[in-house]
Amino acid sequence: MAAWTLAALGILAAALASHAAPQTTHKPSGASTTVEKPVNAPVIHAPVKVYGSPKAPITMEVFTDYECPSCRSLYEGTLRPLIADYVASGKVYLIHRDFPLGMHKYSGQAARWANTAAEFGQFDAVEGALYDNQSSWQTDGSMEKYISAAMSASDFKRIELKMHGCDPPGPTAAATTAPHPCPVDSYIQQDIALGNQIPVRATPTYVITYKGQRLPPGNGIISWEILKQFFDSLLSQQ
Amino acid sequence: MTGQSRGGLGRILLLIGRVALGAIFIVAAYGKLRPQLGMPWSIHSLKVSLSLFTMQVYSYQMLSSQAASTLGHFLPFFELFLGLWLITGIALRYSSLLATLSLCGFMAAIASAYHRGLAINCGCGIGPEEQVGPGALVRDGLKFLPLALAVTIGAFLIRRRRGDAVAPSDAAVPAGRRAE
Repeated sequence: MAAWTLAALGILAAALASHAAPQTTHKPSGASTTVEKPVNAPVIHAPVKVYGSPKAPITMEVFTDYECPSCRSLYEGTLRPLIADYVASGKVYLIHRDFPLGMHKYSGQAARWANTAAEFGQFDAVEGALYDNQSSWQTDGSMEKYISAAMSASDFKRIELKMHGCDPPGPTAAATTAPHPCPVDSYIQQDIALGNQIPVRATPTYVITYKGQRLPPGNGIISWEILKQFFDSLLSQQ
Repeated sequence: MTGQSRGGLGRILLLIGRVALGAIFIVAAYGKLRPQLGMPWSIHSLKVSLSLFTMQVYSYQMLSSQAASTLGHFLPFFELFLGLWLITGIALRYSSLLATLSLCGFMAAIASAYHRGLAINCGCGIGPEEQVGPGALVRDGLKFLPLALAVTIGAFLIRRRRGDAVAPSDAAVPAGRRAE
């Protein structure tokens, strides 16, 4: 019996050892690869919806929906401290991608506001306003008052002017072409297309890239403590 | 088939079962501990893998950050230990029972996450990345759990037979009492 056990252990050890080498010299097989190319860079000159420096060792792309409660929790509980700490110190480059879901009535329109604001350098203010007041505007879509309260009157006027004619609903992952087209729809559609490459199955979905190597996408809420722990483990090698 | 040959066959099947079950746990542990991002095996790669697994544990939204971190750093090594323990066959009743309970726990967590509508990776470490849902439940419920149960029941049965085999024989009973 002991001989059989030893034989089984030996076979198992050999099998595991054959998979132990890093997968950098040959093409990974199957869907279990952890060495993946970074998400393709956008071909359209999209408005700036990023935080931090692209030279940071870690890049985190987050696909979110402004009407998604989990996305709000992620933003409030994780992304805010991330931006204040690791983005500010140059450790993480945070990229926001819009992935408005079809089941949320006003998320496409919210994405339009965010993208238009980004063209005027007000993306962070609008993102914060949308998430902070999500429970209020999601009932009737009245997000303008919260957006206007987050910036100066003149800035809001310029954004509002750009949004003229962009009647809801905005584009969503379920219907990328909106009935009333808006100039910023192409940016949202581009983000949705990028998300479909991942693929994004739910929001929030985040993709972390470290030194050019992309991890499999993660879904759902992640606490700042745990995300920080993960980033620290990556950065500790430097 | 004689009782002896049946017992022999049972022990062989139990051996195969415990090795297979042990291998499942070892493969699951390996899937969680293996280097990510093209790193070679090192203490650093282990830290990264454990932190990544902790993120997956937390995404089930059943534990606090601290508890998820503790479990995320403990579980892969526990699976490795349990897998090796099963393969050795030492105290098989206890190791197989622990394996069965562990699998029940995993399935309960997956079912809970699916019921709450969470579209997260199961973090199982076996095979390609898989979302929580019927697929993961079917795999665990129809393949792994029956195996664990079979090994557990088999281990207890074998142990009981061994216990019966070493019980005092009738020859030791006085002749006058044999009729009772």
